[in-house]
Amino acid sequence: MTTIERPRYNAVGEREPRVEGLHKVTGRTVYAADVQLPGMLHARLVLSPHPHARITALHADAALAHPGVVAVVTADDLARASRDGSNPARGASNRADALFADREAVFAGQPVAAVLGESYADAEEGAELVRVEYEVLPAVLDVEAAMEPDSPLARSPVSDIDHTEEDAHVTIDVRSEEAEGRATNIASHLSFERGDLDEGFSRADLVVEQSYRAALVHQGYIEPHATVASYDPATGDVAVWTSTQGQFHVRDTLMRLFKLPETKLRVVGCELGGGFGGKMIQSATIATACALVAGRPVKLVFTRREDLLAATPTPGSVVRLRSGITSEGDLTALEATVIYDAGAFPGAPVAAGTLLISSFYRWPHLRTDGYEVLTNHVSVGAIRAPGIHNITHAIEQQVDAMALGVGLDPAAVRLRNAVRTGDEMASGKPFPSIGMVETIEAAARHPIWTGREAARARSTETTRVGVGLAVSGWLGGLQPATCELMLNSDGTVNAVVGVMDISGVNTSFAQIVAEELAIPVERVSVSTGDTRTAPYAGIAAGSKTTITMGRAVREAAVDLREQMFSIAADQLEANPTDMVLGEGEVQVAGSPDRSLTFRRLAAITTGFGSLYTPIVGKGAISARVQAPGFTAQLAELEVDTVSGNVTLTGWATVQDAGYAINPLSVEGQMEGGTGMGIGIGLSEEYLYDDEGRLRNAGLLDYRMPTAADTPDIDSVIVEVPSEEGPYGARGVGEPSITAGGAAIANALHDALGVRLTEMPATPERVLRALGRVAD
Amino acid sequence: MARQTHRLDVNGRSHEIHAEPNRTLLEVVRDELRLTGAKEGCGTGDCGACTLLVDGRVVTSCLMLWPEAEGREVRTIEGLADGGELHPLQRAFVEHGAVQCGFCIPGMILAGVATLERVPSATRAEIRDGIAGNLCRCTGYQKIVDAIESVAEAPA
Ligand code: FES
Ligand code: FES
Repeated sequence: MTTIERPRYNAVGEREPRVEGLHKVTGRTVYAADVQLPGMLHARLVLSPHPHARITALHADAALAHPGVVAVVTADDLARASRDGSNPARGASNRADALFADREAVFAGQPVAAVLGESYADAEEGAELVRVEYEVLPAVLDVEAAMEPDSPLARSPVSDIDHTEEDAHVTIDVRSEEAEGRATNIASHLSFERGDLDEGFSRADLVVEQSYRAALVHQGYIEPHATVASYDPATGDVAVWTSTQGQFHVRDTLMRLFKLPETKLRVVGCELGGGFGGKMIQSATIATACALVAGRPVKLVFTRREDLLAATPTPGSVVRLRSGITSEGDLTALEATVIYDAGAFPGAPVAAGTLLISSFYRWPHLRTDGYEVLTNHVSVGAIRAPGIHNITHAIEQQVDAMALGVGLDPAAVRLRNAVRTGDEMASGKPFPSIGMVETIEAAARHPIWTGREAARARSTETTRVGVGLAVSGWLGGLQPATCELMLNSDGTVNAVVGVMDISGVNTSFAQIVAEELAIPVERVSVSTGDTRTAPYAGIAAGSKTTITMGRAVREAAVDLREQMFSIAADQLEANPTDMVLGEGEVQVAGSPDRSLTFRRLAAITTGFGSLYTPIVGKGAISARVQAPGFTAQLAELEVDTVSGNVTLTGWATVQDAGYAINPLSVEGQMEGGTGMGIGIGLSEEYLYDDEGRLRNAGLLDYRMPTAADTPDIDSVIVEVPSEEGPYGARGVGEPSITAGGAAIANALHDALGVRLTEMPATPERVLRALGRVAD
Repeated sequence: MARQTHRLDVNGRSHEIHAEPNRTLLEVVRDELRLTGAKEGCGTGDCGACTLLVDGRVVTSCLMLWPEAEGREVRTIEGLADGGELHPLQRAFVEHGAVQCGFCIPGMILAGVATLERVPSATRAEIRDGIAGNLCRCTGYQKIVDAIESVAEAPA
């Protein structure tokens, strides 16, 4: 924690343990896979083994003859799931709609059918008996080759570019254009331009040109996708218990796909076992389709293998950079090409990545092109700050290389060129309040950075020590939000929201209510209702929940307070504007003996024959100004030059939280995102064979960091208030993932004197960079 | 497959179970005994979400066939609190902010209990090694290690 003077409050700003923590440590929390319904069937999936193939026949007879198998559901059967007989999978342009491969399989692992059994074992045995005939088609596996005009197509052309996936996570005013004609694999392209590149490069004393690659990675949530869906043919009621970041998103999608009336559909977002941008809808669509076809409840829980093969991991990328710097350390020009491998459906964060790679520094001259390219890899989705760890790995190595190239301190060059509040992004839109400079300054003061000479001096012949710095940020999303608040008869308060709690937000909401009503946090309960009982809420994504829903909660609390003041004033024969809060009561200012307790207020507004209306607070906000969060991260590491192994020996994550409503949760978000960034930087990657099949579809070979791989993380919270966030808060969930891979790469350069331009920095890549193994 | 009958001793209570012998201890604990605190994160022994204590030792229950647990003492997260009294590690996890999504937490706490039973004054490095079989994606392990360390005995 920083020692900066913070505004004083009573309940917000305190380190508050999570309100639902006790349920979780005793094993009582119900996750989607824990739901059990009477008469429930189990679904198992049949996946395509080929990255690209025509499905010529599907034989279900042997499976159907197996005892306990109830049905086999394929794309052809979806017309029976839809209430109007239309088939949602026909010609689907986005991944959410393409429940099953429809005549053409476009990635290895794409679901082709689901088998429903009375038991899990019945369904599993049935799935093994389904026989699918394929005609293998040429697979498009290299993202750069896929851009060539004569490349085979990854899939039959579809009509529209679908931005649903990208829009869920960030609010940006720029929009990638649909590539013309659709005869290529380029799904979308956009560009930004400023000034005159030639002039910029002519002013430079050093020009650096380099390409960077980042691997396709999985979000790595420990709970695989899971849904229990039920359909009652007699009433037409559909109820869905699912693991999702957005229950209303699931509701809206199911309504659209299956033409269900909203009044017949209830989606219950269960406690989420991790999402990180990747938990939306994949199991809910298939499970609901199966329940609608079978007329019975169906449980679908992905195996880990299926989750790696068939969920929506986040894209690999190629970034080509050319940039200039003067000997004084002024950045002069940036030319960038950003290419995301979207896999088989659009959904890569190309607009955000292309915008931000050119917006963190004051480039007087720039030209940036972004491409989203279709291949026969698994189709992608979001992760924390989608696409930004990729571009940060490139631009932050580039800035490091330029600074060192002209003999300047990399932190000083960043500070000299960093964007400030009001500076224009590459799109021309000005940044709202940001704390990039304050964040870098705090990192430059940190002992890991100031002690880097001493650390390096520990190096031996075969153990090289290095320290690296990288900076990044994330704009975050915006969405209107609503909250309802009720005064209970014992004087406590219940809040109901519709947004999923993925990061401890319900605890922060309780703190906000407690703050505005001057009561202890224990006297507030916050419930996440379901889609029938809660007011509409957007997806918990885009680091926007606290800054938008938190404002709605605050407004609801203020509304409830005003109502209490007006009724108390009437009872006490005083003016509502003269009322103040005491401990659990409303008082006339200056005469604390003239007061009404919250409990009394509840009684006189709800009791038999009461003359007042019940006290129900409502908060509803629209959000206009983003609250971007910046992070600066420091990695200290040791490299064994014989084995290529990298050991992290120190880490600091500095982040601008605007105002930390719950520092315990904010640190948790910083540490969690840092852990993911470390995995992305060192060990995580999808490995495909030459045929386009995933070689590491399990957690033994898809290597996420363990506790033993992770160093102690020093979290340093910086607080530069945002314009609109409650108490000045900013989005904190996502920035923390962005800079880890780049900080590691810069530390490796510090240690070894060579650049690892491909992420992750596995031992093999380290040895290759050192020239110890052949390419 | 024909079902078999065995007795399982879980959290100090003896249960007679009839089930196919090829099912895992995790499945039987979750589906037959409805103790759903243990989670399946991978089914291949690589994530630790299914961790149970069998005779005090950490076991990835997704890899153990349930009849093998007969005659041994199985402890699940539901059996850790003593009546209404939480185990100190459960309390420490909540207070230190070590709990986020919670999916890894039952397994993680049991791995922490086993680590401290083996090395009561475990250092941070020993704690990290002790829970290295349990993946957590939410916390970066920082506050989990803090929580376990707070319960460890001061080194002699
Ligand atoms: S579920 Fe047993 S180790 Fe992952
Ligand atoms: S708390 Fe979510 S995986 Fe550990």
